[in-house]
Amino acid sequence: MDAINVDINHLKKGEVSLGTSIMAVTFKDGVILGADSRTTTGTYIANRVTDKLTQIQDKIWCCRSGSAADTQAVADIVKYHLQMYKANNNGKSPSTKIAASIFQELCYNNKDNLSAGIICAGYDEKNGGEVYTIPLGGSLHQHEYAISGSGSVFIYGYCKKNYKPNMTKDETVNFIKTSLSQAIKWDGSSGGVIRMIVLTKSGIERLLFLPDEYVNA
Amino acid sequence: MSDPSSINGGTAVAMVGKDCVAIACDMRLGSQSLGVSNNFEKVFNYGHVYLGLTGLATDVLTVYEDFRMKTNLYKMSEDRDIEPESFANLVSSTLYQRRFGPWFVGPLVAGLNSKTGKPFICGFDFIGCIDFAKDFVVSGTATDQLYGMCESLYEPNLEPEDLFETISQALLNAADRDALSGWGAVVYVITKDKVVKRYLKSRQD
Repeated sequence: MDAINVDINHLKKGEVSLGTSIMAVTFKDGVILGADSRTTTGTYIANRVTDKLTQIQDKIWCCRSGSAADTQAVADIVKYHLQMYKANNNGKSPSTKIAASIFQELCYNNKDNLSAGIICAGYDEKNGGEVYTIPLGGSLHQHEYAISGSGSVFIYGYCKKNYKPNMTKDETVNFIKTSLSQAIKWDGSSGGVIRMIVLTKSGIERLLFLPDEYVNA
Repeated sequence: MSDPSSINGGTAVAMVGKDCVAIACDMRLGSQSLGVSNNFEKVFNYGHVYLGLTGLATDVLTVYEDFRMKTNLYKMSEDRDIEPESFANLVSSTLYQRRFGPWFVGPLVAGLNSKTGKPFICGFDFIGCIDFAKDFVVSGTATDQLYGMCESLYEPNLEPEDLFETISQALLNAADRDALSGWGAVVYVITKDKVVKRYLKSRQD
């Protein structure tokens, strides 16, 4: 009888994994990205203060999960393409959709060689906050909020029940804090601190939450 | 199928002090990355002899019960509790009896000899090789981290209160660098007249 086997070691020998719990949530004024800060090599915690929220353009950021090397490489390439777009379009900023589309192209065409689960989120004046999720196979999905990473499986129910459209900034921060707190609690590959990036008309805000603050959220 | 000794996760350590010993473990039981219980203690005792057991959880419980039977029979026949040195040899032979179908456990023995008062600790591999140590022994999924912590923090002849601090820091910081250990910790400090069991406040990630 076949058992259900979870291969947590699908990375190459020595390769580092962003075990991970990541999410991005649109709200009234824009979008907030959130992530834990644990990087593991097998079961050893190689970095307990990782920054998994990466800037691609001014107000387009991404959450990275899977292989640390793969996601860093892909993000760097997308960043390059968007800089070229801006230069060749008279300084016009690319939309979040364009960034997500480039992520998709890279992840789909190199699907056999990559282990990357990425959430691309951004804010612009015209479209407000947008969230695009690009899972392992390289498909593209737009949602009001997205969760990903090994820890996300524990919070599908909680997020479905507690997400509301057009929340305030504080409501959204608490929603992400409570969700990631649970993901971190149950998933051995997630942990450390909770980092968030708030993207709105007013600008870019970085938030940090330590265990004492989120453990009982 | 994964390696049996790292499916459930967990860690333990024992140290020798001045006329005392300490033994400690974390409280996590998981199913690979999923945490299942934050209440799974891995230190047991038979009279004044303490046994720490890491590894496959089902084997931890079975081996604990197997030794409970053996030490009860010992008590009935010898009319006294088993001493740590004797228990250690019992652990070694019991594990080697299963040489080609082993229990996937990493045992640690700690205690004071009731007659001489001498502190005693030792560790074993899963097939019964005894590691008699004068200072500290480690076991579980965070052994590499524990070796580093113990080697740097340990000094001989620590008083019970200081030994408690040292073993606690060694366990906590090693477990915090291991994805499969943590979710609470418990420390026993054993002296001639009393045994103090303390639960530690630890990271819950």
